[in-house]
Amino acid sequence: MSAQSMPARPAEQPHPKVPHQQGMPTALVGMLLFIASEVMFFGGLFATYFNARAAVPAGTWEPPPGGHLDLPLAAVLTVILVASSFTMQFGVWAIRRGDTGKLKLWTGITLALGVLFLIGQLYDYSMLGFGIADGPFGTTFYTLTGFHGAHVFGGAVGLAIILARAMRGQFSARNHVAVEAVSMYWHFVDVVWIAVFTTIYFLR
Amino acid sequence: MTDAAFGFLLLGIAMLVVLGIVFAIASRGGPRGEHPKPPAGVHMPNPSFLPVVFSVAATLIGAGLAFRREEELANPFLMIPGLVLLVLAAIGWVRAANHEWREVEHGAHHDDGASH
Repeated sequence: MSAQSMPARPAEQPHPKVPHQQGMPTALVGMLLFIASEVMFFGGLFATYFNARAAVPAGTWEPPPGGHLDLPLAAVLTVILVASSFTMQFGVWAIRRGDTGKLKLWTGITLALGVLFLIGQLYDYSMLGFGIADGPFGTTFYTLTGFHGAHVFGGAVGLAIILARAMRGQFSARNHVAVEAVSMYWHFVDVVWIAVFTTIYFLR
Repeated sequence: MTDAAFGFLLLGIAMLVVLGIVFAIASRGGPRGEHPKPPAGVHMPNPSFLPVVFSVAATLIGAGLAFRREEELANPFLMIPGLVLLVLAAIGWVRAANHEWREVEHGAHHDDGASH
């Protein structure tokens, strides 16, 4: 991160035309800025949820008649997504050591867990018994979980690219900034889910 | 199976198809082995009006979904121009990015880091 960590350039070497890249790679800075904007985006969605919840009389914030929330299934999905964050990090640690085989393995497992989460969420949606048009609860529930699901899908697209590139041997211990960037995004999506899960299923 | 469940099934299949296409494209593109390091310095994209075109397209699509008759999925007079504009802007953006990438690779791009 600091200029001090860079090795000093010998004086006899001609001064380079372009500055040597120092500190965090620009791709990671870009990903951090993107995640910061995503935090604001989800902040807006949470604010909408709490506003809608505060507008109804106490104790009446619940799924529309005929609908229900499936806490056990949501808990299983939470475990799946949290586990996928661990497998992602194992992949990052592997490529930092230069272990491309383990990177492929852990990225593949992470992608599979992400897809499993999405399938589970769609199954959950089809069983809830209420839709996005069914009152403020239905609207805010589907908006919050749906946008999160879209982000999981975006992360899965990134993971698919990482996996494909890893299989072509494009990453090494020195050169794997895309893996780091996708892992940052994946952890962010995981953290957001924990907030969504806690808010919807426990702050009743 | 209810209509909603069928819709979610279609959505799930579409997601898997998109993931498969992305994986297939990423598997074919680029050389085997490590990529050469990108040139040092800051690369800024060229000025472009495509972001604005994208926003206009998104606005048309959003308006098309909002201002529709009850029996319609979307207002065709807003939705179709919006989708056409979106696809054109996306194609233009990918072409511009590829063009810039080739410029950088072939060294036509001189960036001393001071001009920006």
